[in-house]
Amino acid sequence: MGESVNRAQDEGAGQPLDRRGFFKYVLVGFSAAATAAGVATPVVAYLWPPKQAAGAGGGRVAVAAAADLPVGKGVVFSVNNKPVLVIHTEDGYHALSATCTHLGCIVFWAEQKKVIACPCHAAFFTTNGDVISGPAPAPLPVYQVKVEGDQIYVEGGQA
Amino acid sequence: MQTQPRAKWWTRLGDWLDERFDVRIPLEAFLNKPVPKHAIKWYFCLGGITFALFVIQGVTGILLSLYYRPTPEGAYDSILFIMNNVRFGWLIRSVHAWSAKLMIAMCIAHMLRVFITGSYKKPRELNWVAGTFLLLLTLGFGFTGYLLPWDQKALWGSTVGSEILGAIPVVGDALLGLLRGGPDVTGLTLTRFYGAHMLILPALIFIFLGAHFVIIRRQGISGPL
Repeated sequence: MGESVNRAQDEGAGQPLDRRGFFKYVLVGFSAAATAAGVATPVVAYLWPPKQAAGAGGGRVAVAAAADLPVGKGVVFSVNNKPVLVIHTEDGYHALSATCTHLGCIVFWAEQKKVIACPCHAAFFTTNGDVISGPAPAPLPVYQVKVEGDQIYVEGGQA
Repeated sequence: MQTQPRAKWWTRLGDWLDERFDVRIPLEAFLNKPVPKHAIKWYFCLGGITFALFVIQGVTGILLSLYYRPTPEGAYDSILFIMNNVRFGWLIRSVHAWSAKLMIAMCIAHMLRVFITGSYKKPRELNWVAGTFLLLLTLGFGFTGYLLPWDQKALWGSTVGSEILGAIPVVGDALLGLLRGGPDVTGLTLTRFYGAHMLILPALIFIFLGAHFVIIRRQGISGPL
């Protein structure tokens, strides 16, 4: 028991913490923490990805005029900050997530072969998002797409 | 009549400086440190080779920065300009690219030597830790530099490479956004990687290189096997 008392005294450099010492620790500690937080907050916030101008609301987004996407074409648009591939085929419009389910590259519409292709590791998908071949472990998520008037709209949430 | 020939000009310059700064004795003590016999082997040069490659990277990198433009519109064109129009631009850029690869290889070779000769053991544990950070910084240089040409290989390589960070549970997406400056690899990612490659990583690597070298001079190199 005597030993533990001695050790406690040694750790406090031989002096118990008095009121003055306690307030010194608190004030210095608080000042240091407040200064560190004051510097770190704007720096970390600065590094945080800035908001993009175009809607991040999650609603539906007008991606293009229907005339700009003739039959046979497919284009990647930004829908609420996510890349979405919109394809116009003979049987209508298709909208799918353009982020490959393998390693996240952005897929494209291969006009000649009429399939969706990933440039990185040659994954191929149908217009419904199903995997034809390649390393992709899952189908591409499908988005709702509608044409109203002369505008193509993509629903923000996945179907 | 002169009895003695005048000393060579560099000796007299040294004398002149020593008279003012009193620096000869500490400088000689620092520079004239003999290498122990057991360490005069080619495989004890791997760390020095890594540092020599780092110096080459510094010089060629500074030269490249005079022509490179870190924007999505300008990056690839500026690379073509360096390769095709700038005199010896092809040489400077190729040396930068090749010694980047060699620097990583030599870093790992140096670590293997340190591991095999047991040089990481007490009292040199912290220098092993500093060296590990230097390896990570070197890989960071490689990863950020890979995006800068802004060609297809760069874009998709960085997409796949950064995607790995997104696989971390819970915080993965936030960290991925922080690294890319957004959900995808865009011009924001390019300027981020450029800033890291040109300023942040060099500042960090100087700190760790300094520590690495001060520690090795303080402790000396490890004994024979």
